[in-house]
Amino acid sequence: MKNGIKKAVASIVFMLGLVCLLVILSYIFLPKNNMKAFGMEDVTANGILGEKENSIDVLVLGDSESYSSITPMQIWEEQGFTTYVCGTPGQYLYQSDSYLQQAFINQKPKVVILETNAIYRKMSFNASILNRIENVFAVFKYHNRWKSMQLGDLTSSADYTWTDDFKGYQYYNTVDGTANSDYMAPTDKSKLIHGLNWQYVSDMADFCEKNGAQFILVSTPSTVNWNYERHNGIVQLANALDIPYVDMNLMKNEITIDWTKDTRDKGDHLNHSGAVKVSRWLGNYLKKAYNLPDHRQDDGYSKWNEALTRYKKGVGEA
Amino acid sequence: MAIDSYYSIAYLAIFLPAVVIAYTVFPKKARWFVLLISSGIFFWSMSGKLLIWLIVSIFSIHYGGIYLSLLQKERDGKMARAKAQQGGPSKKEIRKLYQKKQLAVAAAVALFNVGILVFLKYTPFFGANMNRFLAWIKAPFSLNIPSFVVPIGISFYTLQAVAYVMDVYREKFPAERNIFRLALYMSFFPQLMEGPICRYPDTSGALWQGERIQFENLVSGMQRIAFGMMKKLVIADRLNLFIKNVFTNYNQYDGGITALAAVLYTCQLYMDFSGTMDIVLGTGEIFGVTLPENFRQPFFSKSISEFWQRWHITLGAWFKDYIFYPLSMTGPMKKLTSHGRKRLGNHYGPLTAGACGLFCVWLLNGLWHGAGWHYIFFGMYHFALILAGSLWEPAAAAICRLLHIRRTSVPWKGVQIARTAVLVCIGELFFRAHGLRAGLFMFFNIIWGFSLSSFGDGTVFNVGMDKKDFLIAFIGVLIVLVNSIMKEKGTRPRKWLADRPVVFRWALCYGLILFVVIFGAYGAGYVPLDPIYANF
Repeated sequence: MKNGIKKAVASIVFMLGLVCLLVILSYIFLPKNNMKAFGMEDVTANGILGEKENSIDVLVLGDSESYSSITPMQIWEEQGFTTYVCGTPGQYLYQSDSYLQQAFINQKPKVVILETNAIYRKMSFNASILNRIENVFAVFKYHNRWKSMQLGDLTSSADYTWTDDFKGYQYYNTVDGTANSDYMAPTDKSKLIHGLNWQYVSDMADFCEKNGAQFILVSTPSTVNWNYERHNGIVQLANALDIPYVDMNLMKNEITIDWTKDTRDKGDHLNHSGAVKVSRWLGNYLKKAYNLPDHRQDDGYSKWNEALTRYKKGVGEA
Repeated sequence: MAIDSYYSIAYLAIFLPAVVIAYTVFPKKARWFVLLISSGIFFWSMSGKLLIWLIVSIFSIHYGGIYLSLLQKERDGKMARAKAQQGGPSKKEIRKLYQKKQLAVAAAVALFNVGILVFLKYTPFFGANMNRFLAWIKAPFSLNIPSFVVPIGISFYTLQAVAYVMDVYREKFPAERNIFRLALYMSFFPQLMEGPICRYPDTSGALWQGERIQFENLVSGMQRIAFGMMKKLVIADRLNLFIKNVFTNYNQYDGGITALAAVLYTCQLYMDFSGTMDIVLGTGEIFGVTLPENFRQPFFSKSISEFWQRWHITLGAWFKDYIFYPLSMTGPMKKLTSHGRKRLGNHYGPLTAGACGLFCVWLLNGLWHGAGWHYIFFGMYHFALILAGSLWEPAAAAICRLLHIRRTSVPWKGVQIARTAVLVCIGELFFRAHGLRAGLFMFFNIIWGFSLSSFGDGTVFNVGMDKKDFLIAFIGVLIVLVNSIMKEKGTRPRKWLADRPVVFRWALCYGLILFVVIFGAYGAGYVPLDPIYANF
């Protein structure tokens, strides 16, 4: 019996020691700034880490559809509230969930938008578990930094200073149109949402509710990725979780996408002219629906006005 | 939950701990049931409804074995009566009659199982070659070739099924009456994907016993699992960055890079397969089940023949016991041996019949690894090398005597080990190449296009692995080498570790775990290498 207790205590001490080592290594391996040079991944999405505390009103999550369709600076210029797009290429919902939780450490967005294309991206169970582990122990995510680490990584703590002038939006002005504009043929069929994906959306909705944010599902226009079956699937999900759903693919009158001009890759993603149309409608809708504030004259947001000048220059509107 | 390999988080962090807990919680009598259900879940999570094929195999060997036992009992009864009776068939005649009957039953069950394997795995290969032949003879038709999804581990559990039924036929042990016990032998989850290919008496007793998990076994098993993960994640997966590039774009690299790719692939294959075996045997150890070793420091082999006694040992043993020996014992082979002995002497005489057996073994060995001509070439390559080794042996001994070379000296052993390693690397080059044509191109590229310029100008560091990648892989290989040397010298590394002071022991364990966490080739930027042997 005594021997058994000794072994149990030794096992617990060993495990605690391992956890301590992983915590220390996570501290060491965590990028010390949110720039690529410091080893940060997906820097535009992680630009939110450099934003002033509690300064973001709307958070956008999703894959390339999100950062191709929503330009926060357009919304800022027209409506005066702040939006940040934490979109990454081929984003899985477990990554959306991580960005959501990361954002709420320093921000208190009033609205959280999830672009729905990611909901249909099948996830690996293993990858989702690894993602959860990475969220606790950053060394699992940033272990590859061993190649570029310096002595300073051992002692300095993280200080995120970089902000993105485009606030997560990625600018593309190329035009590669498509003749396919009738991609939303009505049907009663419904595209099934994988159980794990459903659970993640449900968890994100609960998280937002607990943190006082309105969670919204938004389908941005895409002739390649969207159809009525998917629309019906998301309607079912939104109804089941009691969350608002906006499908821009059915809003031909409100958002007049010209598929011969407003896409950069034959209807897969919008280009800048398409993003401007989407953002104009979305900004207006969010402002009215959620009574979002106008910070444009607020001195605390002067950096957004400065970023707007640079953004306009960047997109050729200056 | 999707378990896609023994390295997946789903397996290591969820499935295995859950089975350990369930196994511990359940009473001794029900533990076999925990292992059987867990094995079913494991198989299902990978191959779903294809589980039916495994069940069919289990039923076939179960009832085949029972029928063989009945025949044996009937034979024994008749032989006992023959002793008492006069005038009936003699004991010898009865034995011969039943021998034939039993052989027919055993062969039917074995062929049924092998037939499923051939049907599912080789139909596209044979069909495609048949169509090529039809096109060549300008036949006005071609075959419509179906392709099937192959259940996980079929190449391994089929050989276990054949071994079981043949051993019952040979009366090594009586047929198992309990189908669940047989099912557990066939499907024990750690060995399901990549072996080792077990014999029924090796594991069935321990699996059924359901002994309590011992703390020492748990610790030792976990240490072995961690070591296996190091081999796979730090070495095999990191080397993949280089190997994949060279073997995919094989015509873009010079002979030096190609030669390095062949060496690194041989290393990767060993780290991948032996790493998996560490996880498999470590898992078995946790449950008190000693699975047979599949590797015994193969790169210390002094000949190809010895290499195959140290590499994938259970497969080699299977071919020896169920293909080579039965073939050697057939009438024509016996005649050939005695005829050869008279004509060619004691060394070369038996070689003639042996060569026939070896040819069959290596043809099947090549085919077992995969349905492709380069796999057949791989088998024939080793057949030729082993045969050449046997033919050359007397001459080699004479030359050594003439030159006063002591064959047991360390330098000579070193030469033999290096020679064997080179030959193995060439074989693995063909094994990994995208088809026989690509393999031949790469081989001749090494011979005619060999150059060290890529090493001098740094090109070698732009093929997928930089200097730091090479350094980490090298350190990993060094760790494995130290472990292998210890084993070769008769030291059991984990036993040695268990005898060290606790601080040293823990430091080494922490070091190994963190080495894997930091230097493992996983996460963003890495595509995990599919377990190579799971596809065979």
